[in-house]
Amino acid sequence: MNIYPEHSIVISPIGNFDPEITEPVQKEINRIFGFPALIIPILEDVDFALDSGRNQYHSTSILKQLEKSAPSFAMKVIAITKVDLFIPILTHVYGEAQLGGKACVVSTYRLKDQISAANPGVIFKQRIVKEAVHELGHTFNLRHCKEHACIMHYCRTELDVDRKSDQLCRYCKILLDDEIKRLRKSGMEKKPC
Amino acid sequence: MNRARILIVDDELIMRESLAGWLLRDGHEVQTASSGEEALDKIKEIRFDILLVDIKMEGMSGLDVLKRVKDDDPDVAIVMITAFGAISTAIEAIKNGAFDYLLKPFDPQELGVLIEKIQESQAQAIENLYLREQYKERTRFESLIGQSPVMQKIFDLIQNVAPTNSTVLITGETGTGKGLAAKAIHSNSPRCHGPFVIVNCGAIPEHLMESELFGHQKGAFTDAKFTKKGRLEMAHGGTLFLDEIGEISMRMQIDLLRVLEDRIFYRVGGTQPMEADFRVIAATNRDLHEAIKDGIFREDLYYRLNVFSFKMPSLGERKEDIPLLAEHFLHRFSNETNKQIDNISREAMDEMMLYEWPGNIRELENAIERAVVVSKKRKILPEDLPIFRPEDICVSSDNTLAGIEKAHITRVLHENDWNISKTAKELGIDRSTLYSKIRRYKIVQRDL
Repeated sequence: MNIYPEHSIVISPIGNFDPEITEPVQKEINRIFGFPALIIPILEDVDFALDSGRNQYHSTSILKQLEKSAPSFAMKVIAITKVDLFIPILTHVYGEAQLGGKACVVSTYRLKDQISAANPGVIFKQRIVKEAVHELGHTFNLRHCKEHACIMHYCRTELDVDRKSDQLCRYCKILLDDEIKRLRKSGMEKKPC
Repeated sequence: MNRARILIVDDELIMRESLAGWLLRDGHEVQTASSGEEALDKIKEIRFDILLVDIKMEGMSGLDVLKRVKDDDPDVAIVMITAFGAISTAIEAIKNGAFDYLLKPFDPQELGVLIEKIQESQAQAIENLYLREQYKERTRFESLIGQSPVMQKIFDLIQNVAPTNSTVLITGETGTGKGLAAKAIHSNSPRCHGPFVIVNCGAIPEHLMESELFGHQKGAFTDAKFTKKGRLEMAHGGTLFLDEIGEISMRMQIDLLRVLEDRIFYRVGGTQPMEADFRVIAATNRDLHEAIKDGIFREDLYYRLNVFSFKMPSLGERKEDIPLLAEHFLHRFSNETNKQIDNISREAMDEMMLYEWPGNIRELENAIERAVVVSKKRKILPEDLPIFRPEDICVSSDNTLAGIEKAHITRVLHENDWNISKTAKELGIDRSTLYSKIRRYKIVQRDL
């Protein structure tokens, strides 16, 4: 018997992550998206995605593996990793998501940069939470938002991440509600096995 | 940032896919092509705003794609993508009209800034064009003209809906006079003494749209030196005409829906709720059902706008109005240019009746304007018209399309004993078009 609630969002830390990081992510995801959020490690490592020439990890390969390995009750799955991610055409990415799809990944690698001396731990945690919600937002079909304060705003630098709020703007809230309604109507896409 | 239509041209699948994914998440509409040849095929079908083209590809090079595309459509922004070490080719591309180049792999920040820069420059160009068009529109299209049954129906619809306060959605191809129909509804409504405020949703850049519609408070943003009224406020007591509503961004759709539901809005940077009393007429040449399916137009906004709707017929659907419209334009342009041109020759009129007019009334108007300028006689001749193709008239007994058409018309005329009404009905054309074809092909009864 399945002990997990249907249509959950699964948070999958890759490697060791302090609960002080994963728990706020879990809390915020639950608050913003309104679905149960569970912390369940799915991938042990992401060595399969390593590009030795670039010494970076190909985020799209991670998404494919994540989607394949996601448990049946997972409506969406988000991985959190410490490694530096890339897509072939770009120098780096903070994360990647399947737009309107199931999987996304966020990297903490560059979120440590340009951190102010005051409360570095708190700021680092906030950045991870914001970027996790941002990437998950893409899986709910949200695109980048021009509102600088919106969590779906595309941040060019880490300082931009600090400047944006931890909320969706009212436009993105409406678009998220529309998408959730659409998902409910279509039986949350893929029925759990 | 607005949604841009972007084509990625690269022969490496992984590059195409990774760039397409990134741009999709950034809110753009993206297609890909794996070669220059495939890109040119796609461009024939779809008009893209931006092309991201890899310089080095198998077969047709990126530079060749650039030259071919720029020849046909100089307004498309093309960004060349190149590997380190091929910068000289990238510079050559800039000389040939490329907007810029990117060295791969590039920083995501660099790409975002570049796309924004392109969109700003394109929006500026569209706005300039719109302002020029608006200036022209003030002196043109002063009334709706038409005697055809299909236009009579439109006049009836306008008469019926004008006195009400209902929202109206006008659809139809470009150049069919949707704006004129909107103006006619306003002029025949109890709001006729109030303002008729036009918002061209396709021409105003998105970043200006919010302040344009809702106005702004002093200090709301860097350039907001004064408090400014928006067009909603300006339309108070009158009609707000939202032209090209199909081009409006998803964000503005959300705002507009709220205004249409509550009739309350806020100026940008303002906290005080504003109210305005206006009637909304919207127009589009886009298939909004398709746009809803594609997820780029909100269904709730569509139903809010589509209280009463009608479609303006294309000129092809009201060919019998061509003589009337042509005479009207001739009169106007001969007055404006001080050239005494009395009429349009029968042969020139035949050419106009046979032509399909994909640009509709606007194209006809431009054709007559040009004819008036180039005409050396007191009569418009076929050769004065930009649509005139003398080679099309060469009718021979071979298998040319014209030859087959002549033979077919002749046969159907014979079968119907030269009964013009019956023949026209059987051929699926109207009587005036049939007469034009008889004259054009010089069909006489002895041909039988």
